[in-house]
Amino acid sequence: MANPPPNLRARAALAVAGVMQGSSLDDALAAQTAALSAADAALLKAIAYGVVREHRLLETLAGSLLQKPLRNEPELQALLLCGLHQLRAMRVPPHAAVGETVAAAPALGKPWAKGLVNAVLRRYQREGEALERGLPATAAVRLSYPDWLVAAVKADWPDSWRQVLAAGNEPGPLTLRVNRRRGERASCLAELAAAGIAAEAVADAPDAVQLAAPLPVEDLPGFTAGRISVQDASAQLAADLLQAEPGQRVLDACSAPGGKAAHLLERVDGLDLLALDSDAQRLRRVDENLRRLELRAGLLAADAAKPSAWWDGRPFDRILLDAPCSGTGVIRRHPDIKWLRRESDIPRMAELQQRLLRALWPLLGPQGVLLYATCSLLRAEGEEVAAQFLATHADARELPIEAGWGEAGSTGRRIAPGGSHDGFYYARFGKTPGASGS
Amino acid sequence: MAVLPILHHPDPRLRRKTPPVERFDQDLQRLIDDMFETMYAAPGVGLAANQVGVQLRLAVMDCSDEHDQPLVMINPELVMTDDPQEVEEGCLSVPDIRDKIRRYNKLRLRALDRNGQPYELEADGLMAQCIQHEIDHLDGKLYIDYLSSLKRERIRKKLQKAAVAGG
Repeated sequence: MANPPPNLRARAALAVAGVMQGSSLDDALAAQTAALSAADAALLKAIAYGVVREHRLLETLAGSLLQKPLRNEPELQALLLCGLHQLRAMRVPPHAAVGETVAAAPALGKPWAKGLVNAVLRRYQREGEALERGLPATAAVRLSYPDWLVAAVKADWPDSWRQVLAAGNEPGPLTLRVNRRRGERASCLAELAAAGIAAEAVADAPDAVQLAAPLPVEDLPGFTAGRISVQDASAQLAADLLQAEPGQRVLDACSAPGGKAAHLLERVDGLDLLALDSDAQRLRRVDENLRRLELRAGLLAADAAKPSAWWDGRPFDRILLDAPCSGTGVIRRHPDIKWLRRESDIPRMAELQQRLLRALWPLLGPQGVLLYATCSLLRAEGEEVAAQFLATHADARELPIEAGWGEAGSTGRRIAPGGSHDGFYYARFGKTPGASGS
Repeated sequence: MAVLPILHHPDPRLRRKTPPVERFDQDLQRLIDDMFETMYAAPGVGLAANQVGVQLRLAVMDCSDEHDQPLVMINPELVMTDDPQEVEEGCLSVPDIRDKIRRYNKLRLRALDRNGQPYELEADGLMAQCIQHEIDHLDGKLYIDYLSSLKRERIRKKLQKAAVAGG
């Protein structure tokens, strides 16, 4: 007989430990779920996402349950957190949560730790409420964020920082983008309703449909046929903001995985769109997405910050710069961002964003529009980058965004994460009439 | 000791009922050692003699995490079964496939050890599952026989394709 199925808790612990050692949660999960059934993979993901999301809180709790801290045992530590998360927040029967988690210790090669895991989880069952009350009352512990990120969000969102941080702990909804070339949003909603899938239109994103509960996308009517794609409502705002017109020449400078490029091509006829990404592997995802939707664009693996290597000298009518950023606006979908980012990443990201804006600006035609976007919560990667750019480019002016979503800043518009929207920043620029090039 | 090649479904040699072991000689001891090595290398928790092409009513098992509970079953039979449950199962002769079937969660086994001495033991959980799986092998049965014919046909096609692809 083949070996029995691997213990899911052991695998979840390995995925969590992988993230805390610097791997992305997507990569860590892919390695652990490859051979599993869909149901097992779903349970493993639910545990791992939950533990990564609340890692600091769970770690603090585990610290109060252990007589002495575990040293150099990242997998065992992660296993304890998986057990605690199941007892605190999941609808796993407590005896199964404890039993399966204890059984996972030998599967991690640590049979000696069975007693320890059992003792810690049972103590939590007995004394959990009191221990929870005794946890430090700080937002960093209670909401599980690193100190530097709490400080940064507090500074940038002085009135709503707590909601912003809390929103990052609520898993975002599954939001679809309806392909206008293949049908209306109303018919998509009708089709979903007929399939018994609860969904509603998102008010401020005209092609967005939000599902009441997440589902595997392959199971949705019309996904493989290219009638729908998955894309958050905030990201779907880019297509309208760019104001592209039929036949225009468009650059999508940091395109992968290609959602915004595809949306533009779905919406506007005859665009001559060049999708650029520095990563050839990731550019393949753009190709896959466009193929599924039967859309055409030029694809180029190149560094957007060095146009001399790839630009043919013909100006673009529209440029979308969805710049690399900290991703702090999409923590609700990628909780590993909390632990993978460092404070020192932010100034480096801001410098990269500035460099991209400066490099791409000369490529924009006289009547052109450049849309700058990041999925960051931080002013340093949004408003400050945009303001700095305007201050140093006499031939650039802001094209203000009038909208019902988000809030206007000194430059551009930002969206707080929560509900239908990921956290996002948009600013729009055009050339100053009559000014000479910079 | 040596790692022996494991036969894969649909090999007809997996479908014969094996005759009882009668001679407890040096050859048998060597075969048992090789079967343990083959099973640990697979990796698996149980291996029947006909899975390595030997038509004898003999199987080896080890359901421990540390590989320290080897068990030899010769001419085994079940004297009691109880508590049927759904369990997930896989077979070294049906590689890369797992499915749920019903097995008794508790049983009592009667068998001979590697020296021909009779013993009885009670087993539950994974060990009980494995004992039933190996005795099925010795009777010419595979766990996939308990699946729907549709599933079984899909598995047969998949394995045939893999065998062709692997040369």
